[in-house]
Amino acid sequence: MSEVTETINELLQSIGLAADYRTDSLTLLEQGESRYIRDFKLNFTSTLTSEHLSTKECALLALSVAVNNNNKPLTNYFTKYAEEQGAIAADTAEAAACASLLASNNIFYRFRHFTQKEKYTQIPARIRMQIMMKPVTGKEFFELMSLTISAVNGCEMCVNAHEDSLIKMGTTEERIFDAIRIASLVTASGKVIY
Amino acid sequence: MITIGQAFPKFSKTAVVSIEKGKEFETINSDYFTNEDNVWTVMFWWPKDFTFVCPTEIAEFNKAFGEFRDRDARLIGASTDSEFVHAAWRRDHDDLRDLKFPMLADTSKSLAEELGILEPTEKVAYRATFIIDPTGVVRWVCVNDLNVGRNVKEVLRVLDGLQTDELCPCNWEKGQETLNA
Repeated sequence: MSEVTETINELLQSIGLAADYRTDSLTLLEQGESRYIRDFKLNFTSTLTSEHLSTKECALLALSVAVNNNNKPLTNYFTKYAEEQGAIAADTAEAAACASLLASNNIFYRFRHFTQKEKYTQIPARIRMQIMMKPVTGKEFFELMSLTISAVNGCEMCVNAHEDSLIKMGTTEERIFDAIRIASLVTASGKVIY
Repeated sequence: MITIGQAFPKFSKTAVVSIEKGKEFETINSDYFTNEDNVWTVMFWWPKDFTFVCPTEIAEFNKAFGEFRDRDARLIGASTDSEFVHAAWRRDHDDLRDLKFPMLADTSKSLAEELGILEPTEKVAYRATFIIDPTGVVRWVCVNDLNVGRNVKEVLRVLDGLQTDELCPCNWEKGQETLNA
């Protein structure tokens, strides 16, 4: 077995996928014996560790991003991992809910910010966001999850608004930064595992 | 009449919640109007049980029960008839048997009187609708004359308008404080 296949096997095992699981991009990496596969594996493992987030928080953030990215294998994996880290069904549900709600908000508010037309800020949004009132994962964490999804979806003003409100809640920049790191790595993982 | 911005009056009344024997009645009081769970209340009144316009209207509210539930709003129907009249009417009328919301019996007419919705000659309630927010404050009142039915869609539209939707700090604009909900 080639070294790259060995690394792939270890990776697949850690995600709970069968040894013969391959996607087109994974096959390309394997056939070209890409050095990237080792970075990829290490990056993937590091999505679950942070000095500023608990393992459960890492798992829920990763889950939310996987849902946002419509990634089935990663959604399954992070759900299971979140549960192992003590997340209850209401927590994982909220990670999914946040991904879905923020997907709408990111499109909607990005449009408002893009156009910068007064008229569009005056028309009521008619998007219900009641889960933001009393999130089960806590206001600060929900805000962090919202920021994370907004960063993935590329809404500049959403990112700035959520970041600003987190800082006002007393969240450290290190904690925010780690959440974004996890989001970027989960998104990158989804290019190979999907 | 109690109007917008005023606290809904305190009360405790019997309501019909079922036609199942032994499970017909429940006491409803105004305590849960004020709650931490962000639950709104929609209370609608009609003049008399066993009359013609009423069951159509009540059935319309019942059809929209899920719409109110999804908006975290509790629906309560009320008239000045007694709980026994309510129960009899529910058993008697096809459209009313499966009602999902309680029918409040303001038999003493004290609540209708306090709300200011008692018709002066017959002493029955006008077709009044109240939307009460989770702090127990009346946010919308609509009163129809005795014979004019209501549009349930309009009540839902108003409820949508009253419930804050843009809770996301993304709604933040330059120079504006971020939201502290």
